Amino acid sequence: MREETRREAVWQFLTYAFVLLGAVVTMVPLYWIAVASTLKESEFLSSTSPRLLPGDSFLANFESLQARQNVQFVGHPGEMTQYIDLGPFYFAYDFWHLWDMGAMESSIFVAVVYTALSLLLCSMAGFAFAKYEFRFKKPIFYAILATLILPIQLLVIPLFLLMSQLGLTNNYWAIILPWAANPLGIFLMRQNMRSIPDALLESARMDGATEFQLYYKIALPTMKSSLAALAIILFLFQWNLFLFPLVILDQGKYTIPVAINQLVGAQRVYYDQIMVAAALSVIPVFLLFLFLQKQFVSGILAGAVKE
Amino acid sequence: MSGITLQTVRKEFETGDEHVVAVDDVDLEIRDGEFLVLVGPSGCGKTTTLRCIAGLEDVTDGTIAFGDDDVTDLRARERDVAMVFQNYALYPHMNVRENIGMGLKLSSSMTSAEIDAKVQDVAELLGIEDLLGQKPKELSGGQQQRVALGRAIVRDPAAFLMDEPLSNLDAKLRAQMRTELQTLQHDLDVTTVYVTHDQTEAMAMGDRIAIMNGGELQQVGTAEEVYRSPVNEFVADFIGSPSINTFDATVEGATLHGPGGFEYTLSDPSPVEGRDRVRVGIRPEDMTLVDDGVAIDTTVLEPMGNENFLYATMGDQELTLRVVPSARPSPGDTVEFAFDEDALYLFDANSGAALKTKTDAGAPLVEEPEEPEVAE
Amino acid sequence: MAAPTSNEPLSDPTVRDRARFFRQALSRRLPGLGESGVGYVFLLPTFLLFTLFLGFPILYTFYLSFFRFEGVSDETLLWIDLPGFEFQLTRIAELEFVGLQNYTAMFTDTLFLQASFNTLFILLVQVPLMVGLALLFAVALNASFVKFRGVFRTVLALPVSANLVAYSTVFLLLMQESGLVNYLLTSVGLPAIPWLSSSFWSRMTIVGAVTWRWTGYNMIILLAGLQNIPQQLYEAAEIDGASRIEKFRYVTVPQLRPVLLFVFVTSTIGTFKLFSEPVIINSGGAPLDSTITIVQYIYQTAFIDFRLGYASALTYVLIFVVSLLSAAQLRIGGSADA
Repeated sequence: MREETRREAVWQFLTYAFVLLGAVVTMVPLYWIAVASTLKESEFLSSTSPRLLPGDSFLANFESLQARQNVQFVGHPGEMTQYIDLGPFYFAYDFWHLWDMGAMESSIFVAVVYTALSLLLCSMAGFAFAKYEFRFKKPIFYAILATLILPIQLLVIPLFLLMSQLGLTNNYWAIILPWAANPLGIFLMRQNMRSIPDALLESARMDGATEFQLYYKIALPTMKSSLAALAIILFLFQWNLFLFPLVILDQGKYTIPVAINQLVGAQRVYYDQIMVAAALSVIPVFLLFLFLQKQFVSGILAGAVKE
Repeated sequence: MSGITLQTVRKEFETGDEHVVAVDDVDLEIRDGEFLVLVGPSGCGKTTTLRCIAGLEDVTDGTIAFGDDDVTDLRARERDVAMVFQNYALYPHMNVRENIGMGLKLSSSMTSAEIDAKVQDVAELLGIEDLLGQKPKELSGGQQQRVALGRAIVRDPAAFLMDEPLSNLDAKLRAQMRTELQTLQHDLDVTTVYVTHDQTEAMAMGDRIAIMNGGELQQVGTAEEVYRSPVNEFVADFIGSPSINTFDATVEGATLHGPGGFEYTLSDPSPVEGRDRVRVGIRPEDMTLVDDGVAIDTTVLEPMGNENFLYATMGDQELTLRVVPSARPSPGDTVEFAFDEDALYLFDANSGAALKTKTDAGAPLVEEPEEPEVAE
Repeated sequence: MAAPTSNEPLSDPTVRDRARFFRQALSRRLPGLGESGVGYVFLLPTFLLFTLFLGFPILYTFYLSFFRFEGVSDETLLWIDLPGFEFQLTRIAELEFVGLQNYTAMFTDTLFLQASFNTLFILLVQVPLMVGLALLFAVALNASFVKFRGVFRTVLALPVSANLVAYSTVFLLLMQESGLVNYLLTSVGLPAIPWLSSSFWSRMTIVGAVTWRWTGYNMIILLAGLQNIPQQLYEAAEIDGASRIEKFRYVTVPQLRPVLLFVFVTSTIGTFKLFSEPVIINSGGAPLDSTITIVQYIYQTAFIDFRLGYASALTYVLIFVVSLLSAAQLRIGGSADA
């Protein structure tokens, strides 16, 4: 019996050690992003005695990052070009230039717009597939399902040509629209919306709701948690898009991945600047992860539970 | 308020390659302020009929009118009817106040303040004014039921449509809600169509009962009419608990020969004239144990306290009898029963159409018991 | 029949009420669509986007793969000029038909073969390593005695939220000649490793980076799978005298098989799509050939060499391979549900 308990103790110790080691190794790169962004390059890139604790060069690094000519990482107040000058009164009306967006704002803007638009489209399509009967419903649904297996990022070549035709090169819509009707999203919404009882919708019909009111007054509110999980999937998908933005966006419109790639691919690589950029781009989503952990996990699982 | 008229209403479905006639040319007139119960076994088309009235299903053929207005082509939300669903179908993300007020908000021209006042009135009527701030999942089954009713009442609709609204409640609450619902309907005086599969509920609640089977309307009448004067064997069998005993018999002149030596000579042979076979029906409550009647073998005796249910066989025919509690034959005992000819039912051997129904005392308020109104 | 209130109007309609009445009036005036009509309306935006941005590219890639791309065209095919409306349809590209030449060229394209080899190498080393680690972490975190499970799970899954390009730069930094990893190695007396400049080690750097990013993700999926295994199976095995390792071998693995297969197949497909990590990490100085992946090669062919026809053929081959793997995945996932 004592042998048994001792072995149990050893086993528990090993398990803890393994998990702890994993956690530490996982944290090292994250820690290093945070620390290196606050140090001078010479302080952390040293094979003899790198500094392992945070320093105070973050602002200096940030300023040098902002001073880069080819990459605008964080935006700044813009120069108004459209305005009415009435003596003492001055009306600017090109609000788009209130703030000249850098890569951070671009990425956030694009990801948020994409997430909102895609949630709308996916939930509408999912609702149609789940709750209405119409001709060719099955073939259309299976056609959409089939594209699930296509890595849509691979369609860059024709998309690029198409965007040049549509005059959308160097335009954020070019990286939002092509995957706005996200097949995974449509599939997930359809699966979840099938669980809405028909009686609930009929009851609302009797109450005088139009079909569109059924969608946004009944279906959407009851699907809140599924929508949250899907929002995470969609946001991360757009947040991580690299290949197509790289192809389609020009300087001045870069998203975070493209901007960082510019920094890394430059003649002289300044790691202190890159680490500031990485910290700025990674840490907000980390915080989001910590706050919305449940939704992140259900998002991962929702994405994994394909039929 | 208005009556509801269905004229040759027909509903066909395509399910895959199957063609189903769910409602088969139903003619039905529901009077203004009436409580009509649609009853029948599952799959008989009663719910589909209700949904056609509601406008949730398009009819394949026929017309539906509320009063003088033809509503056949109107959508559900344009028909001014309210429906209570089996599972209540309360909006899970709204509190009770919003649930009840939703209909007014969507389709009335009342201001928000008026809606609030109206919701408050209805909640007080139903005794749920304390629950207005709560979400449906925080409520008990009975409370949810009241909210569902409130949602229907608040709109002052032309008609209430109810689809088995009590079937999710436990037995005690169901009995309580049954009377409450009747009182409410009586007070509001709104035409109500109520669907159930439970004939006891139908008998207890309906001003009139409409019995359906296989998509066809069998008979419409008061509880007493359909019990005493069913138009056919199906209605006779469906109404009444325990069910009527029916069996085949051959006719020789005025004498019926049934299974296990059953023999009975009719004093009035006119219903069986010119026939050699009929179906005989005797209700369990019309059979009395006697010393010189038809012999049957007891199989089981179920004491109910105030009466006993006696299960027996007559030849290979199983019978149920409701007998006085003092009668306690043991399984295997042979007993004998008798009945009044007034209480006897006779049906056509092939079509099941009634040839003779109850004519005993307690005559029903029916104009011509022998020929009750047949739908179709 | 409309709801008349017995009492006097309690108040004047508010602005919101007026908006509501307006909506009601509007919806009353609109014609009903019938059930199928409504379904189509809900689907319409999706349908349009799908046709334009997915249907067309899929077909056009296939078409393009039989041509040599000569340049973007501005030849006008159709020109509509109405007052207030002008529309001009130009040809998409200047093309020359080359038949199957793009497809046959692949077999002699050494860089393509090298890219395939690199992808395969990463696949064979990285996927088993990552799935193995993810499984071990999942099993460890599923053990009843482990405290702070939630904390460990959070930490291990944290990389899921890291931007693909941003995190790759950290590995680029960590693996520098004079980076943190080599500092740690040398400080315990091991030799420094040329993580970024040698062909072999730069591939291993990519393996390490991808493993870091995705282990937690897969662990969460496996953990969910583990929690679905009925506890009685373990109790039955315990009564039969199974050891810890036997329980893992004879209960956990077979029960987890569908989930495990799913994780394997998705990870495999993920490897075929690898792009961000090699692009960033390759700038560390290794010869391009040693780390280039298939998608990276397609990108180069198409947008640096502007051989769009050839790149399209490569894309189709890759789509074909990935589709096969995905089909297998759907099949496996489907049988897992049963």
